Amino acid sequence: MNGGAATPPSGWATGELMAVELARQLRNDDVAVMGTASAIPQVACGLARATHSPDLWFVAGGACGVNPHLAPTVASCCDEELLRSDTVLPLGDVVLLEGRGDVFTVFFAGGLQIDAYGNCNLVAVGDWARPALRGPGTVGLPFLSRVGRVLIYSLSHNPRTFVERVDFLGGPGFLDGPGSWVEAGLPGGGPAAVVTPLCTMDFDQATLRMRLRSVHPGVDVAQVVEATGFELVMPDQVTQTAAPTSEELAVVRRLDSSGVLKGR
Amino acid sequence: MDKVLSVGEAIERFVPDGAGLVAVGGMHLQNNPMALVREMVRQYRHVTRLLTSPCGALNADLLVAAGLVEQIATSYVGFEHLGLAPAFRRAVEAGVLRVLECDEAYITHGLSAGAGGLPFVALPAGLEFADVWKANTESYCLVTDPFTGRKVLAGAPLAPDVALLHAAAADAAGNAVLAGAHFVDRSMALAAKTVVLQVERVVPTDQLSRQAVGTTIPGFLVQAVVEAPGGCHPTASHGHYRVDEAHLRRYLSLAASADGALSYLEEFVRGVTEQDYLRSVQAGASVGGEL
Repeated sequence: MNGGAATPPSGWATGELMAVELARQLRNDDVAVMGTASAIPQVACGLARATHSPDLWFVAGGACGVNPHLAPTVASCCDEELLRSDTVLPLGDVVLLEGRGDVFTVFFAGGLQIDAYGNCNLVAVGDWARPALRGPGTVGLPFLSRVGRVLIYSLSHNPRTFVERVDFLGGPGFLDGPGSWVEAGLPGGGPAAVVTPLCTMDFDQATLRMRLRSVHPGVDVAQVVEATGFELVMPDQVTQTAAPTSEELAVVRRLDSSGVLKGR
Repeated sequence: MDKVLSVGEAIERFVPDGAGLVAVGGMHLQNNPMALVREMVRQYRHVTRLLTSPCGALNADLLVAAGLVEQIATSYVGFEHLGLAPAFRRAVEAGVLRVLECDEAYITHGLSAGAGGLPFVALPAGLEFADVWKANTESYCLVTDPFTGRKVLAGAPLAPDVALLHAAAADAAGNAVLAGAHFVDRSMALAAKTVVLQVERVVPTDQLSRQAVGTTIPGFLVQAVVEAPGGCHPTASHGHYRVDEAHLRRYLSLAASADGALSYLEEFVRGVTEQDYLRSVQAGASVGGEL
């Protein structure tokens, strides 16, 4: 993967910091769902449960373990290890509940392209019929339209990934902005936050465009601006992402005992 | 009735060349019915339309690499944390493989529609804001909800002519036990006109009937049972062995070019019998889990 932060400034890996930062977006009453290649959000949910949100539930889509016990964390969302869980749902039931719309409060998403309005694309770069880059496909991302809060994470932060407009809309964010968003009347709450190796972003309430919230330790604002292919909304003051505490890192490393997050 | 066949006989008898809609089970790098897929390649069985679970992997990419797939209905073909699917990507970018773009909800509910004889399935509101249906008007269309008058997305039923599936065990009549996660494998079995199963082992019926509740595929839906211990390799088989990442990385690096893909097919598929393949990967140091 391209576009990570330079050398981590101190004793944690980028994937670990991203898990910690995603955990901070979660709440005690959340029921979260995630899919393909979701080791980072799984650890984020495990960390949230072990610290500030003991009553949070999370479903590791694919294998569909509910509150998978991790330790070790695995790279594939369909790995048998994820069946060591509190309960396991059939995949078809998770798809039903995603459609129901009032069960999952958080959906973790990502893409080959993520645009200024938080729309995601895992399908194709360029013209869909004859793409410059054919991606794998959209899986469950169309369900983003139905979930409470969408938390976007990406291991790449560069102008090819963060684009003004996705070439193929596979996971609806705020569509084309406030007018289209209101008109669509989507049941979900839309994208809430975006975590990358460089920074954490949220969305400006007036324009519904992505806004820089905090830069990770060792990263400066100019780096983020240069790595983003559209004009980010700038808050009056950009803060620095709080470094992972030793308690957070200890939990992350207990859950990710085989170091999947460090390997990225 | 004894449905146990060799892998060669099962494909020869039950998967015609040019079959209309062929479903391959498993999801991501787990439970791919690779013994059956490799035999499709050995017998040059062309597929008019291949259907994956919500996430296809080597089960689809190998058939595409062999040039056997005309169209693919899928919501994902890739190798998750290991990378993109090289043959799928190359074929689509070159315009030689037509994609029927799908999403997870449609594949899952569409198979239920196929299994239940539903004329179509209505999908949850909001999904129409993704571009998927616009790219695949053969499988999706916007219709008016007769109860509310709102526009909603409808999907055509998915009823495979053949489903190629992996199960942990089956008896000779085809009653089968799926171990671990089922993904959409049961739905594929329920919806398909013909089901060819590969299993880690064939077991006596009385052994299964002691756990009849867990024997979730009834034999009357199954036409052929192939005993293929290790047959998901290099993908994992839940309850039996884990994914062989070293072998998959070798596939990915070879299949990065069309010539390399052909040499992989020659070395690991067409040039060897299934028995020899399994013997060679077990003998190699790269094997993962307890084959």
